[in-house]
Amino acid sequence: MGLMNFAQGEFIMVPAYVLYLLAGVPFGLAAAAALAVGIGLALGAERIAFRPVRDADLSAQLVTSLALATILQSVVMAAIDTRSQSVATPSGLSESSTILGLAVPNLELVSLALGAATLGALSWILFRSRVGLEMRAAAENFEMARLLGVRANRVLSVAFAISGALAALAGILLVTQTGQVSPTMGLTPVVIGFVAVTIGGFGRIGGAVLGGVLLGALSSLLGAYLPDGLQPFRDAIVFSLPVLILIFRPEGLLVRPGGAARI
Amino acid sequence: MHGGLHSPGTVAVSAAAPLALVGLTVAIGASGSPSLQGTVAIALCNLIIVLGLQVFIGNSGVYSFGQLGFAMAGGYLAALLTVPASFSAFQTPGLPALLSEAQLDPLAATLIAVAGSVLLALLVGLPLMRTSTLAIPISTFAFLIVAYNVLANWDAVTGGSGGLVAIPTSTSVTSAGLWAGMAVLAALAFKWSASGYRLQATREDEAAARSLGVRLMGERMVGFVLSAALCGLGGALAAQQSGVLTPNAFYFAATVTTLTMLVVGGVRSVLGATVGALAITVVVETLRGFEEGHRVFGLPSLGETPGLAAIGLGVILLAVMIGRPSGLTGGREAGELLRRRRESCSSSARGHGVRLTSIPREGAHLDRGTKRQELVADGVSLAFGGLQVLRDVSLVLRPGERLGLIGPNGAGKTTLVNVISGFQRADAGSVYLGGGNVSGHSPARLARAGLVRSFQAALPFEQLSCLESVAVGAMGTGAGRRRAVGEARAVLTRLGLLELSAERAGSLPAGSQRLLGIARALATRPRYLLLDEPAAGLNDQEGAELVEALRDVVADFDCGLLLIEHDINLVTELCTRVQVLDQGRTVALGSPEAVQRDPAVIESYLGSGYPAVAGA
Repeated sequence: MGLMNFAQGEFIMVPAYVLYLLAGVPFGLAAAAALAVGIGLALGAERIAFRPVRDADLSAQLVTSLALATILQSVVMAAIDTRSQSVATPSGLSESSTILGLAVPNLELVSLALGAATLGALSWILFRSRVGLEMRAAAENFEMARLLGVRANRVLSVAFAISGALAALAGILLVTQTGQVSPTMGLTPVVIGFVAVTIGGFGRIGGAVLGGVLLGALSSLLGAYLPDGLQPFRDAIVFSLPVLILIFRPEGLLVRPGGAARI
Repeated sequence: MHGGLHSPGTVAVSAAAPLALVGLTVAIGASGSPSLQGTVAIALCNLIIVLGLQVFIGNSGVYSFGQLGFAMAGGYLAALLTVPASFSAFQTPGLPALLSEAQLDPLAATLIAVAGSVLLALLVGLPLMRTSTLAIPISTFAFLIVAYNVLANWDAVTGGSGGLVAIPTSTSVTSAGLWAGMAVLAALAFKWSASGYRLQATREDEAAARSLGVRLMGERMVGFVLSAALCGLGGALAAQQSGVLTPNAFYFAATVTTLTMLVVGGVRSVLGATVGALAITVVVETLRGFEEGHRVFGLPSLGETPGLAAIGLGVILLAVMIGRPSGLTGGREAGELLRRRRESCSSSARGHGVRLTSIPREGAHLDRGTKRQELVADGVSLAFGGLQVLRDVSLVLRPGERLGLIGPNGAGKTTLVNVISGFQRADAGSVYLGGGNVSGHSPARLARAGLVRSFQAALPFEQLSCLESVAVGAMGTGAGRRRAVGEARAVLTRLGLLELSAERAGSLPAGSQRLLGIARALATRPRYLLLDEPAAGLNDQEGAELVEALRDVVADFDCGLLLIEHDINLVTELCTRVQVLDQGRTVALGSPEAVQRDPAVIESYLGSGYPAVAGA
């Protein structure tokens, strides 16, 4: 949609806090509630904050999302606490299953299955469904798509609902992995996402996946091979190296051929 | 300031207003309690940082989320240079002796801190300013995270996340006020310098600015480095005010706060940065009083609510972005705000379109002393995906000649101009200018070599005045401010636009905007001028007047003209030779009369009737 959203991190954080607040409720139910809150939050943000600045430039939208992120983060700090809180996760997830003689933690299995299912569902929506086609058309040329009868508000709402659902899923997974929630927990994932999209190339799902895989691999490799004394600087290196890619490919790794704008 | 881009009164008022605000703040602070003095001194340090943000963000139109990284650098450098050796020994044991034993005079430490920030900005900016307009917000944000990560973890040298203590406190309300006053003047001086105008032109329209010779990365770099100097200064003074410094002082929250100050006041103006910084300080201090559970202004206490100030900031920022994105000042300086009344009468300007007077051009220096050589495109081919847009097209434009390039929609005319002017690379073929091969040169470099093009759309620098817009043309190819203003006045006079000088380019009617685009290009003193459908979107009368203007002007300015048009009548009237493109091939070349009789042309183009409407 040509929009980058700082508040995406808070769309991760708020559903995670729903899990924290619903401690004692069966986990499946709590997760469903978190998902619903995530979708509702994204829809509300689109209606209140993003729709009014839809025609502004990218920078203005970024600043708007920054404001939204600050509000959500501070509200959680004011209402709950600035420090992180621990969350009990279902015991089944911390056990392991034996597959082909290998002990695999259940959590990893669930994460993997959810990741694959999400990518599949996202691809289906974007490339097979009517609203997906409308969404891709709107991303290419918003005004033209409107002229051709694409209902802009509906398309944007669906796009935000999807991003809210994805963020909520990420939040639920993060909580089950770390057992903790904190008001700033969304910052790192969203920055990684930004950098991944930027080095991969804007407007391409493949670019985002490629960028994400590159960053993840880089971080893991550094974790394994960087000398102990330099380990604290891992994030610094992870965020420096990709920028070097942009020097040689200012538009990102994957850009459409002949994509020069018509002047 | 005779011959300036603004009247002396406007300049004086614009500088005096923010300086008066700073003076008022100092007066309030200096007479207050010690805690008020501290608050005011920090507010002035923040103001310097916000002015630093304004210099880059306001003039380039590109948001950087990393400028606070330079405040970190300035703060830490100043701190390390002034902390007594006895403290350095335990809080920063890994520091080189040169730094740990140094206990410099505060002024010297501040100046070195600024120099260090500038060096860091050069190092960081060289790669970052190369990234695309979309990527700069992200890559600068990545820089902020890297800077924080290093400072928070390099315990032996920076004191780690605990930070530094025992920094001698030398910043007073008065000294912070003096520095802030100088920062105001520096930001204004940059905004109104040739370099500042070139950067603002890239903000208004990247392609148009580059076509006039403006080097995008270079100009952004200048703004980025000056911005870093001010941010470093603000950081150094703040560290020497509070006496302690942690990496968090200039991280995410501070970035949000300073950006809010800038956006609330109005990104494009120095007055906006000043108003925003001071107004938001008052709001934040008030909210902080509530946050700590105090009674403020007699209102009941809410008890301790951490995060209240941040919520308030976020709501204000959101409200301004939605309700008044150009900020309280609308992005104007004080002098410009005073002139608003005149601007609101600009409806009178809407009335008159293209109008020409035959005032002879002043200061003409026709003999450029350069070898008069041809512009040649040789065997240019280009395909977009499977679509072959240009097939082995050649073109020769002689000095002072007027060549028309016509052809139906999709013939490849604009693409050919894009290739010649450096906006697109050809798959095969070369472009020669003055005998040298210039294939693949950037648009800015070609403009500086005397090859300038206009666009099908007018692409006005909307927020700049007409005089400023045309002056950018001269500045883009290297003229200083004074000469550029003279040049701009001469060109505007010649095209009958002089009385619109003070109008915002964005407020003009389409015909005048089109003419302004040509004026901008002429101010570069081109040897070759490529006009892409200058009459598109104009009515018949405006078009006819434009032809008259072009005929005279091109003769006067002694440049070769390549005129792309749909309208064959226009070309016939104006050009001595005509080249016809169809489906990416040259199908005819000769005098207008000969071309009109050419059977190939009649079949491919004229036979289908003259296209009535020029496409965009």
